[in-house]
Parts: sequence; C-alpha cells; structure tokens
Amino acid sequence: MHDTITAGGSTGDFTVDIAGLTRVEGEGSLRLQVRDGVVEKAHLEIFEAPRYFEQLVVGRTPDEVIDIVARICGICPVAYQMTAVHAFEHGLGIEVDPATRALRRLLYCGEWIESHALHVYLLHLPDFLGYPSALDMARDHRAAVEQGLALKKAGNRIVELIGGRAIHPVSVRVGGFSRTFRRTEIRALREQVAAALGIAQRTVELVAGLETPSFHRDGRLVALRHPREYPMNEGRIVSTDGLDLAPSDWRSEFAEQQVPWSNALQARGRDGRAYLLGPAARITLAADQLHPLAAAALAGTGLAGEIAVNPYRGIVARAIELVDATAEALEIIDAYEPPRAARTDWRPGPASAAWATEAPRGLIFHAYELDDRGHVAHAQIVPPTSQNQAAIEADLAAFAPSVLGLPHAEATLRIEQLIRSYDPCISCATHFLDLHVEVVS
Amino acid sequence: MTVHATDRHPVEVLVCGSPDRGDDGAPAVATASLAGHLPSGVQVRVVGQLDIDDLLSVPPGARVIVVDAATGIPPGRIVELPLDGLVDRDDRLRPRSSHALGFPEVIGLATLIRGRPLAGRIVAIGGSRFGLGASLSDRVARAIPALAKAVADAAERAGA
Repeated sequence: MHDTITAGGSTGDFTVDIAGLTRVEGEGSLRLQVRDGVVEKAHLEIFEAPRYFEQLVVGRTPDEVIDIVARICGICPVAYQMTAVHAFEHGLGIEVDPATRALRRLLYCGEWIESHALHVYLLHLPDFLGYPSALDMARDHRAAVEQGLALKKAGNRIVELIGGRAIHPVSVRVGGFSRTFRRTEIRALREQVAAALGIAQRTVELVAGLETPSFHRDGRLVALRHPREYPMNEGRIVSTDGLDLAPSDWRSEFAEQQVPWSNALQARGRDGRAYLLGPAARITLAADQLHPLAAAALAGTGLAGEIAVNPYRGIVARAIELVDATAEALEIIDAYEPPRAARTDWRPGPASAAWATEAPRGLIFHAYELDDRGHVAHAQIVPPTSQNQAAIEADLAAFAPSVLGLPHAEATLRIEQLIRSYDPCISCATHFLDLHVEVVS
Repeated sequence: MTVHATDRHPVEVLVCGSPDRGDDGAPAVATASLAGHLPSGVQVRVVGQLDIDDLLSVPPGARVIVVDAATGIPPGRIVELPLDGLVDRDDRLRPRSSHALGFPEVIGLATLIRGRPLAGRIVAIGGSRFGLGASLSDRVARAIPALAKAVADAAERAGA
C-alpha cells in the first residue's frame, strides 16, 4: 500500500492519498484534498474493473439470471439471488409456500452471519485493537479470531446446505428451490447455530466496550422496514426523514449517476442528497423488529442512539445483527416443516419485475424488464456500496479535518477505519457501468 | 525401489480463481487438464476464493498446493514458493483469490489457528486481464501447459 499525507505548513493545505485500501472487498483508493482546513475533494476512487453484469443477463431466463447474479460477489451472493428471485416472483405474480419463505430467510441469515463475522472479527476489529492486520491481531488475540471463524463457519454451513455450495450458491429458483430439504438436513444445523448464537452474544459485549473515535453525522438513513420481522427479503423502503415506498419503487426516489473518479455508479436521492444504508440504518429504522435476544443485547449496550449517528459504531450494529440472525436461524431450524413441493409452478411471460432486499451491507435493488418469451430485455442492479459511496465521501469530508493534525500513521488509520466501518464491497459496486463503444472511420 | 501409494503424504491441490474473470481462470483451466494424470493420494479441490476454512480443513499430515493467478509478476510467468514464505514477503507478488483478506494473511491465520506450519507451496501464474469473460490473455493461454506441469510436479514432490 502506498499512502501519503502532505502538509502545506501553516496554510492548512493537505493532500491525502491512500492508494490501496486494505481489508475492504475489491480494489479502491481514497483521495482527499484539504485547503485552509476545508476539504475541497473527497473521492473514493473505485478502479476495480467494470464487470457488465447488467448486460450479461440480457436474453437470459429468470432462473439463469438468479445463478448469474450470484457471481457478482463472493461475500454476498445470496443478496443478489434473493433480490432477483423476489423481483421475478413479484413481477410474475407467483406466490411461494410459507416453508419456502422461511428457508429463504434462513439462507439470508447464513449470509448475514458469515459476512458480518468476517467484517467484525477480521476486517474491522484490528483497527480498534491497534493492529495493522488480522494476522497481527491473532498473535495476541487468538481466541477472538477463533470465535470469529466459528461464527463465519456457521453461516457458511447454512449457505452451503440450502444454497448447494458456500460460495455462489445454485439452488434458488423462481417459485422455490431446486430441491426440497428434509427436516433431518435442516435440524443438523442446529448445534452449530446454537453455539454461534452464544458467540454472537459475546461478540456484542466485546465490541460495545471498544474505544471508538468521536464522530457525529446527521445524514439520511434508508432501509427496509417490515411490520412483523426484522427486514431481509421483504418490507417497505423507509428513511429517517419519512420516506415510505414499496420495495419495487426505488427508482421513484433514487437514481444512479456516473462520477469521473469511479468505475462504480453512485446513487443519490433524486433531489441530489446522499444517504446511508446498512446495519446502522436498519437498527435505527427497525430496532423494534429485532429478535428479543438481539433487542436485549442492543439495550444492554446503551448505544442505540450512537449507532444512528457515529459510523464507527457500525461494528456494534453488525454484532447486534449477528445475534438477530443466529437467533432467528435457530427458530427457523426448530420450526421447519418441508414445503409441499420444491417450487411453485409458473409460466414465463412479459413482466416488469423490481424488488429490494437487505444485503449485509444494506438495501439492494434489482429491476428487470421481461420480453414476450419471459427473457430479460433490460436490467438494473443497484448494490449497497454504490448507494453508500456519496455518503461515505461526505462523511470523509466532514471527518478529515479533525485528524489531519495527528501524526501521519494515526490520521491514515482513523480515515481507513472510518471507510472500513461502512464495509464497502467494491467488487459488487463495479459490476455495472454502461459500455459505450464509438466506432469511427 | 518401489514407492507405494501408502508411503506418500496425501496432497490437496486447492484451485483458486474465477473462470469467468479472464486470467483468474487460468488455475482452473490448467488443473482440469490434469484429471487422471496426478499421482494417487492427490486430491484436487476447487475453492474459488481461498478461505481460512479451506486450509483448516486440510487433514493433519497432508501437504497443500495452492494454485492461483497473481498480479505483480509478468503475465504468463509461473512462480512457485513455499506457503510460509509468503507471510513475511514484501514484494509486489499478489495472489488474487483471497479477496478482503490478503493472501499472506489467510495463510498466516490458518497456520496460527492450526498451531503448526502449513506444509505446502503456492504455484502462481502472472495475469494481466481480470475483467469479465472466460478467455485468457495470450501469454497466459500459452503458459497453461507449463502451469499444469508445474502443479503436477509440485504435487509429486509434495507427496514424496
């Protein structure tokens, strides 16, 4: 990694280049320019190669799309599958068996557990404990790392069983799954998930006591909200300033745009405002729907208010959601009865299909136009990181002046730590970007 | 002297990379060509992105060969190194497939948790194009037979 902070003496001019962000998914960098103590430029530069998935799915059937979009990310493939399958089912008017609905929620719990465990223990915790890497931290805190790996493994196992494999799962189909799951198969997860719940509860205690930099943001938070459950696959799009939209109507309020410094599109409100998604937004907007064990854990931290305004407390929000996801997974496992059939029959045809779900990193939106044969004619896939980019840049601009008087290494650490607190997934964010080919003679 | 299969260490070849991301697919292409040509006791496992659990699940006494594409070395160049030699190595060689955690970190964490060194090697091939698509860049495509031979040789030596 190459990083520099250059100071302009008494003028308060600085340039901060962190040329290779570490412990984030994908390849990106940060460029900050500060003049007279005011940040003139805060660019999260994402140079991970564009991946063109939205074009790749054109001409494909809905079931093919579900497998293709899972390839967008190795950390959160279920989020892409869940959003796509719900979009198609909503667009085509397909009702699924309640047992299928529960299985999908269990599958999503698995992904939340593995993604949050990876981030809390291996990507973000080293910042708080003062280590440059998870490996350095593990030399002194081996038990903590083993806890994190055990949690992650429990999530992996859920995804592997229901999804067919731990990475890029293959079992999700429009109307259900590619096969039914026996009670004994699902019950076999119980012991490991029960152990994971205990670890998740201890994780909350661990991270709630971490010394955290002070930072206050007042920006808009956006998440799904469901009247009876913590948001994952269903709910309405709500915000801290009163937004209330159907999950298919994301485009009526938000829009993507290109910026010159990033291969990823940035999403903003149609009024130009940035907004933030993710665990802190979900807890702020839907804490009353947390599993009782997670709600008790949150209350025990006394940090609900701070989670809403200080991104560094994102690690606490993730730990609370680890409790929520493991506790709910356990309940689904205990109550599981196989569906009557692996999937509901359906007929392909034309449709407008759109939906939003909650990926580990925040709200994810998909929209598809299906032609007369039921093949995709147009697709739009909006991952959380592309929606969070503008808010991250705004937060960096607000935060940077407070650390530029610190020694170089500490200032860099604080800024990187802030970026990591949003758990950006840069590989996801660069799957799109329109390809324009100009032919000249 | 006759060497029996039971005299050999078991070997796990962990194949990293994504076949739909250009040169990242080189390990999968090369190892697919080895089907039926590897010594007994050698098991090939496609892992995609290398996870700590992939290394923790290697049985005690087994040797590991990790095959991955890498940046920081010329496209098509094949590099073979001991796994533990990567942890403190400070150069531009950067295997692609450990994602959010750096490759040396994954190896180091697995070694630490196992409580003993991971016996094995990484066979890496330099790549130049990691965008979407299954086709390999020219220099990487030409080096596939050499990569397959390097993997087979490494597996043979590891098992001995």
